[in-house]
Amino acid sequence: MTIIYLGILAAVLALVLWALVTSKKPSFQAAAAMVIVPLLLRLLLIK
Amino acid sequence: MKKHHISAIIFLALAGAAAIVSGTSFLAMRKPDIIVPGPGVSEVVMLSNWYPQLKGTPGDTEVYILGKGNPGASMLVLGGTHPNEPSGHMAAILLIENAVMTSGTLYVIPRANASGFTHNDPQEGAPQSFTIQTPNGPRVFRYGSRATNPVHQWPDPNVYIHASSGQSLSGSETRNLNRGYPGRENGTLTERVCYGIVQLIQKEKVTITVDLHEASPEYPVINAIVAHPKAMGLASETVLGLEMQDITIGLEPSPVNLRGLTHRELGDFTDTLPVLMETANASQGRLRGRTDEALVLTGKDKWYVKAQKLGRLYVPYDENGHPLEERTGRHLAGITELAFSWTLENPDSALEFTGVPAYAELQEKGLGSFLRPLP
Repeated sequence: MTIIYLGILAAVLALVLWALVTSKKPSFQAAAAMVIVPLLLRLLLIK
Repeated sequence: MKKHHISAIIFLALAGAAAIVSGTSFLAMRKPDIIVPGPGVSEVVMLSNWYPQLKGTPGDTEVYILGKGNPGASMLVLGGTHPNEPSGHMAAILLIENAVMTSGTLYVIPRANASGFTHNDPQEGAPQSFTIQTPNGPRVFRYGSRATNPVHQWPDPNVYIHASSGQSLSGSETRNLNRGYPGRENGTLTERVCYGIVQLIQKEKVTITVDLHEASPEYPVINAIVAHPKAMGLASETVLGLEMQDITIGLEPSPVNLRGLTHRELGDFTDTLPVLMETANASQGRLRGRTDEALVLTGKDKWYVKAQKLGRLYVPYDENGHPLEERTGRHLAGITELAFSWTLENPDSALEFTGVPAYAELQEKGLGSFLRPLP
């Protein structure tokens, strides 16, 4: 189950990264960057 | 390169930096506190010694044995069942660093839920650690979470069903060590730690088990001993002894319908006499204000003073708070009095130790005076 969870998490993280890179609005990019932090910590099983 | 790509790189770099800083801070919590064994410690072994399946898991934890092989009774002290209740953890550490057995054997587990020390409860604003000044420099101790780290045990069910009774609790209680007894050999990590502790009690024929806790000042069972029916005689004598030292303490019977707790299950499933002790910890209360190291150490909180004036608390509360010295001192006085009461009734199977700081001594000199210098 953890593998499936981490797979979903990785997919969401990839989508957020894609949204950050392609967006032209700095406010959207800033929001995406803030979302990336907890996703990354969770994916690495740190928090 | 387009303008929005440059800003994307900048935001990504900032996110990466934030992840590195916060990740380093969270990972640092996995490094256990340094405990310096005192002259009374005969041996330090891991809980997996009694239940090998725990070996290498985040649930495996140190067991300090004092007076190994001594004739007499034995006592197991559990500190850190809930790592956000520091007086139990500190009382266990002071025993390890100071107690010397003159008869009987003492087993001390300072980090009963070792996984719980590796993280904080989200959204509580609790400090990750607190520092105690000693004559030999500062000593730092973890302030953890009430429950096992979800990184180590996941996912929580919607409803936690206690295995041996069928009792239903909220899902997150599945990671609460004091809802998992007597544990299961092939259960969750938390249940396996409970099972390991039960194995220790059974194999070593532990006479008395003391589980050290703290509770919010607004919680009804506080400054109290909770005892299993078969430990009620011993606990009654202990309460009388503490009252004679002007340490006010209540005595509560272990509820029959509240399952999974040490004071109920260890009494039902083993031959040990289990008791649980509670002190007043504002830093885990719902009415508290600013939550920081100072609150953990002093217990001073203006909102609890106000709550006391409104009659909402179950302990006296004034501007002096309830410092960690007082709360740890209450636990140590309770443990000393339990051993004394046992020995009084069972002189042929005595349980005696020296070196443990007395309640008044701890208030006067502070915790730091009884902590050993780091190696």
